[in-house]
Amino acid sequence: MVEALQILLSGLVVGSIYGLVGVGFTGIYNVTGIVNFAQGDFAVVGALMTITLNLAGVPLLPAALLAIAITCALAAVVERMAIRPVRQDVIRGIIITIGIGVVIQGVAVIAWGTDAQPMPAFSGERPIEFFGATLLPQSLWVIGTAVALVGGLYVFFQHTYLGKMFRACAMNPFAARLVGMRVATMSAISFMLSGILGAVAGIIIAPIALTQYDSGLQLGIKGFVACIIGGFGNPIGAALGGLLLGILEAFAAGYVSSGYKNAIAFVLLLVFLFFRPGGLLGEMERASS
Amino acid sequence: MLRFLILALALAGSLLLNSGYFTNLLVIIGLHTLPAIGLALLMGYTGQISLGHAAFYGLGAYGAAILGRRLGLDPWLDILVASVIVAVIARWIGALVFRLRGHHLAMATLAFGIIVHIGLVELRDLTGGPNGLTGIPPLSIFGHKLTSDFAIFPVVWGACLLMMALAQNLVGSPLGLSMRAIAENERVAASVGTDVAAVKRHIMMLSGFMAALGGGLYAHYIGYLSPGPFDVGFSIRLLLMVAVGGFANIWGVLFGVVFITLIGELLKPLGSYDVIAYGALLIIVIIFFPRGLLEGLGGLLAHLKSPLLRGAK
Repeated sequence: MVEALQILLSGLVVGSIYGLVGVGFTGIYNVTGIVNFAQGDFAVVGALMTITLNLAGVPLLPAALLAIAITCALAAVVERMAIRPVRQDVIRGIIITIGIGVVIQGVAVIAWGTDAQPMPAFSGERPIEFFGATLLPQSLWVIGTAVALVGGLYVFFQHTYLGKMFRACAMNPFAARLVGMRVATMSAISFMLSGILGAVAGIIIAPIALTQYDSGLQLGIKGFVACIIGGFGNPIGAALGGLLLGILEAFAAGYVSSGYKNAIAFVLLLVFLFFRPGGLLGEMERASS
Repeated sequence: MLRFLILALALAGSLLLNSGYFTNLLVIIGLHTLPAIGLALLMGYTGQISLGHAAFYGLGAYGAAILGRRLGLDPWLDILVASVIVAVIARWIGALVFRLRGHHLAMATLAFGIIVHIGLVELRDLTGGPNGLTGIPPLSIFGHKLTSDFAIFPVVWGACLLMMALAQNLVGSPLGLSMRAIAENERVAASVGTDVAAVKRHIMMLSGFMAALGGGLYAHYIGYLSPGPFDVGFSIRLLLMVAVGGFANIWGVLFGVVFITLIGELLKPLGSYDVIAYGALLIIVIIFFPRGLLEGLGGLLAHLKSPLLRGAK
């Protein structure tokens, strides 16, 4: 029983990580319709920047804030240089984000090498007892941040003026422009938002999941799967999908084999793509209309 | 037809240089051209993105090696049988994934590629796991083993020229017109009587066959297989080759393969910088040269020339 609880807990934590990465997709997707294949790499940049700044003597919190700002700026540059020229064409946009991911990974190898970089936990390493199972304090940070970001984003998209503009641009960019929205500006803001979300996710999970130059691909794909399971563009769906994926993976690793753990995500992805492409909650636009 | 003759003559002429390095490079280019042509048919002409083509290449390579080892098939036969099996697999994968489009299709094919890669690593009894398979016998003709680059060269390029000619004929045929119609607009294609799903499946099958053929030849040429070369990175490099070639352009894709392989060779001494170059090139080509680097640069030159000429008048 304790064993099952332990697996469930670690599944929850890993699931929150996937959810955290997954919500990062929502910003860009909800405005441009582009799935950012470099989303996981934004998380890696945020985490590695923080680690480097921290090692250079900057305290953790300012280092993290600075890294988030840098990632945000990077995302803005990416949008301006690479995405704006092909706005009309989603497939070309996707291929470009793949290229951006490749470039970021290449630069990361040169800047940080191929070794995994550790980051100190935010509030100590002493495990917390919980009905016989144990939990690292950092896990609470992960779960807490996931809950806060998901809730905040949901309110943002549903109840703020800017959030509603975001969704309007996704539904019909032409009509959005017709009523006076600057779609190009919205696109830039959406990239900056996704950059921030990615960096926050990367930094929060760094003490648990060691970060190296190519972690981004795996993280990004897991986040994408979380989005597909829950419903693309819907932050609550992404969190729900992440939790489901994390728990399933944890049980599969615990009771079947850890080698095939990664395959589960992809099998789930294919199952959902074929049988319920809108995800559990449906895409945000469909759910709310 | 003339182009094929010229290419064949040029290739034969290259052997006269008697340069081991150059011949080796051309063999590698040939091996990459096969999956790249397959991907061009699917992505360029039919408009269906695939981020998992390395998987077909890998399945062809491992399939040929395993069939040869387990069933004792002759290398020539095991390449052919493996390619046919992969073609059948590709057809069924196509039947599944082509229910999707856009980013869903991109992710599904990426997932397929990663699942196959995980399978190659994890199915240790069959694939040798991360250590791979060693001692794959070379192809042989009448007992004469084709181990050197010079000996394998005609086989690889023979297969390449054959598949290029096949692809060229296909895109000129009525089926080729259907493919282009699907790439332009599926609904219009369907409205004039094209069985869209069937065309996509057939092209996927052919595309898988070409990739697997390249993989099978690779396995018997290298003689050693590990999962590494068949990862997502290779799928993306194939995508880059096709993009540089201008997607719907057989000869352009050949240029793309040559160009990317040469860039890889040039950047080899710099270590990991080649990855950055690949990524940057992919972005630049997609933004500025959507019809390929050759045509794009040609257009650019003409653009630069015209005001100069006008100025002279």
